[in-house]
Amino acid sequence: MISRVAAIVVAVAGLAIATYLTIVHYAGGEPVCAIAHGCATVQKSSYAEFAGVPVALLGLLGYVAILGSLLKDTETTRSITALLALCGLAFSAWLTYVEIWELEAICIWCVGSAICMALLAALATTRLLRAPAH
Amino acid sequence: MTKRELREQARAHRLALEAAEAARTTRRRRFSILGAALAAAIAVIVVAALVSTNSNSDAAPSGDLVRSTVVDGVPERNGVLGDPNAPVTVTEYVDLQCPVCAEASKTALPALINDYVKTGKVKLELRTMHFLGPDSVKSARVAAGAQQQNKLWSFVETFYANQGTENSGYATDEFLRDVATTAGVDADAALDYADTDASEQALTKANQAAQAIGADSTPTFTITQDGQEKVLLVGAGDVSAELEKAL
Repeated sequence: MISRVAAIVVAVAGLAIATYLTIVHYAGGEPVCAIAHGCATVQKSSYAEFAGVPVALLGLLGYVAILGSLLKDTETTRSITALLALCGLAFSAWLTYVEIWELEAICIWCVGSAICMALLAALATTRLLRAPAH
Repeated sequence: MTKRELREQARAHRLALEAAEAARTTRRRRFSILGAALAAAIAVIVVAALVSTNSNSDAAPSGDLVRSTVVDGVPERNGVLGDPNAPVTVTEYVDLQCPVCAEASKTALPALINDYVKTGKVKLELRTMHFLGPDSVKSARVAAGAQQQNKLWSFVETFYANQGTENSGYATDEFLRDVATTAGVDADAALDYADTDASEQALTKANQAAQAIGADSTPTFTITQDGQEKVLLVGAGDVSAELEKAL
């Protein structure tokens, strides 16, 4: 129960970040970028879109799907959350690799989203394994 | 132990075995679900690597610089481009390193200048923010130096025409000197001014103005009519269309 509430909180945080980045992407502006100053480089790079779809939008859809899977607490929904979060984490890891090694620019918003995804993957996995058997 | 007790004990034992078996099955099923999820996650990475094409090149400008002609023939006085008595002011909040600002200067600015500034309807002002990195600060200071020579806009537009990859370190003194010279600015004077406290004040003023209007991303275009400044457009959209609506 606690891990479900925690997962919802983290997913909402990730959703907020992804929403902000999606809005910035479509408005054509530049994200406010503190600490590390690579947001525009990242957002304007060829990696900002994935097969024509902005990665920010993909993230947004991912978080929405995860939130959707958290609405009910059954074996199936717990499995779906884990699947989505692990795939999300893989995608985030790939994007972080691209930021560091290909673009050599770090977007603090993207790092924030990657941390949210990592937390979600950990929460979803333990939640699935620890749920009472039936 | 009675027969009944023995039966119950056997039953309890059987139930416990069944429960343990069920737990094992559940656990196995969950691990195979996680295994499938991991496989899917690896597939995601492989697909991502295959789909993404690396077209990111370190576009550091080299060789002769391009001079922007977008503000040619428009008078500038103290950073104000166009007729100082124009009834409406459009202010652009920029960061010189911001790629979207460079895009806006190519796509939106020419029409704005031709249709509104040259006709005396609108005058343009510029606030150089500098939140993207140290190169932005130095560039903004040199821009303040260009403003002293009434060449702020020429400098900024020529900078955009030769902009490199953000924070790649391209905005060296030499680059800024070349941009200034190409834009018709006295480079020595502009760079000297960049080292003064007065240029720092220009940056502080730009920041305060941006904060006051709530411009937290660049470019932000604002419109000032009858002493009231309000945000017109954020990003490299159609400024002229927004302006037409606001007038």
